[in-house]
Amino acid sequence: MFRFTFAACACMALALADGFTFNIGSPVASQDFQSKTAVFVFRTQGCVEPAKPQVSARAEGIVNGARQSVSLKVVTTAQPNVYAVYQTWPRAGDWIVSLQGTCGDARAGAVVPIGPKGFIRELSKFFPRPATPAEIEASLKTVPPGGNK
Amino acid sequence: MRHVASQLAAHIDGRLAPASSQQIQEHLRTCERCQAEYVEVKQGMEWMDRLPLIEAPASLWTSIEAGLPHHQAPRRIPWAWLATAAAAMFAFAAYWLLAPAKAPTWEVTRTENSTQRISRIAPGQWIETSARSRATIKVGAIGSLDLKPNTRVEVIATQPGEHRVALAHGEIHASISAPPRLFFVDTPSGTAIDLGCEYDLKTAADGSGLLQVSKGWVQFEWNGLESLVPAGASCQIRAHAGPGIPYFDDAPESLKLALDQGALEKILSESRVRDTLSLWHLLSRVDADARGRVFDRIAALTPVPQGVSREQALQLDPDTLKRWREDLAWTW
Repeated sequence: MFRFTFAACACMALALADGFTFNIGSPVASQDFQSKTAVFVFRTQGCVEPAKPQVSARAEGIVNGARQSVSLKVVTTAQPNVYAVYQTWPRAGDWIVSLQGTCGDARAGAVVPIGPKGFIRELSKFFPRPATPAEIEASLKTVPPGGNK
Repeated sequence: MRHVASQLAAHIDGRLAPASSQQIQEHLRTCERCQAEYVEVKQGMEWMDRLPLIEAPASLWTSIEAGLPHHQAPRRIPWAWLATAAAAMFAFAAYWLLAPAKAPTWEVTRTENSTQRISRIAPGQWIETSARSRATIKVGAIGSLDLKPNTRVEVIATQPGEHRVALAHGEIHASISAPPRLFFVDTPSGTAIDLGCEYDLKTAADGSGLLQVSKGWVQFEWNGLESLVPAGASCQIRAHAGPGIPYFDDAPESLKLALDQGALEKILSESRVRDTLSLWHLLSRVDADARGRVFDRIAALTPVPQGVSREQALQLDPDTLKRWREDLAWTW
C-alpha cells in the first residue's frame, strides 16, 4: 500500500511538472504596457495546477575584468506565469541573465546573453535544471562587445 | 470588478502599504476606466504642486481676531452679510460647474542656436520648427514629443483621457509612459496609437512616411487597416493608403524589398522565424488563394498553437488571429 501511494505521488509530481521550461520574448509578448521598458519577458510552461512555479533571476557579468553578480527582481505581469526582467545591472561590461525556476520537484534554468540591442535569443540556452557556473561562464564569453543599452 | 478610483491619490502619493499598492498596480493593468482616472488624478496633483503659495495679508488676522468672542460685545447676527456671502458662493459654484472647462495647455520648449524659449500650447494651435530649430512638447503628465527640424505639429486634444496631435510633415520622437490608447498622432495617412512606447514617426507632406519603434509597441491604423509594430520593427506608411506590412529592422534586405514590391514568393522564401510578424500581417492582406500559402509558411517556421485552426485562420476569424498573434509574439 505504501509503495503504491509513493508511486502515485511520484507520478503526480512528474505530471504536474512534465516538461517544465522557460520561454523568453520581447516585451510585446507580455501584452502588458507596464513591461514596455523591460529587457525581456519570460514565461514558464509545463507547470500544472495546483503546483505554482517559483522563479528567480540573477545578472552575471564581467566589468573591467572583474566578475560581478547582481540579484534581480522578477516582476509579474498581467498575464499568468509571465514575468518581466528590467535592467538594474551596470551598463558597462558583458552581461547575461541567469533564470532559475522550480515547479514541485522539477527544475528549469536558462542563460540569456544581453547585447547592445537587448537580449540575444539565438545565443540563449535552456536547461532542465539551474545553469552550472561553467555554463554561465561559457555564456558570458558569447556576449558581443559593446555593453548593453 | 471593484474599481480603485478612491485610492488613486494615496497610491500616487506613496501613502499606501506595499501590498495595497501592488494590488492597485495589478488592477490598473487591465481596467481602462481606472487607467483614465489615474492619469487625471496624477495630472491634477501635479497642477496642485505647481500652485504658488501666497502669504495672507496681515489685515486678515486682525479681522479674525476682532471677530473672536472675548473681543466682541454681544451683537445681532448679520443676516444681510451672510445672505450676500451665500449668494456669492452659489454664483461661484454655478459658474464652476456650468462654465465650459478650459482645455489644459502643454509646455513647449523651443531650441534654436542653443537659445531656449518656453511657452505653452493649447488645442487648435500649431507649432512648426525651422531648419535650425527643434522643440519638445511635454505631453501632459504622460511623456514628451520631440520635434526634429522642419516639422509641423498641431495639438488636437489635451484631455487626461485623450492626448492627440496631428503631424502634418516632418519627424517626431515620442516617448510615452501611460496606459495604452491615451496618446495618438494623426497623420495624413493614418493614426499612430500608443500602446506604451517610444518611437520615431516621419511623414512627408504627401502623407507617406515611416514609423520606427524603439520601445514597447505601437498600433498604426487607417480606415480599418491596422499594423502592430513592436520594438525593433518599422512600418512604411503609404500616402493615403495607410500602414504597410511591419518588418523587423534586422530582416534581410531581400525580404524588405519583397514586402515593398508585394513579391509573395520571395517574402515566403526569405522569411525567418522572427519574420512571422510580417507574415501574420500578410494573412489579411492577400487573397484567399495566397492566404493558405502564408499560413503554411508560418506553420513551417513555428508550431501552430492549440486553438488555432487552419480553416478559421484562412477565414480571418478575429479571435483565432488574435490568439495566434499572441503566441507568435513570443518569437518576435
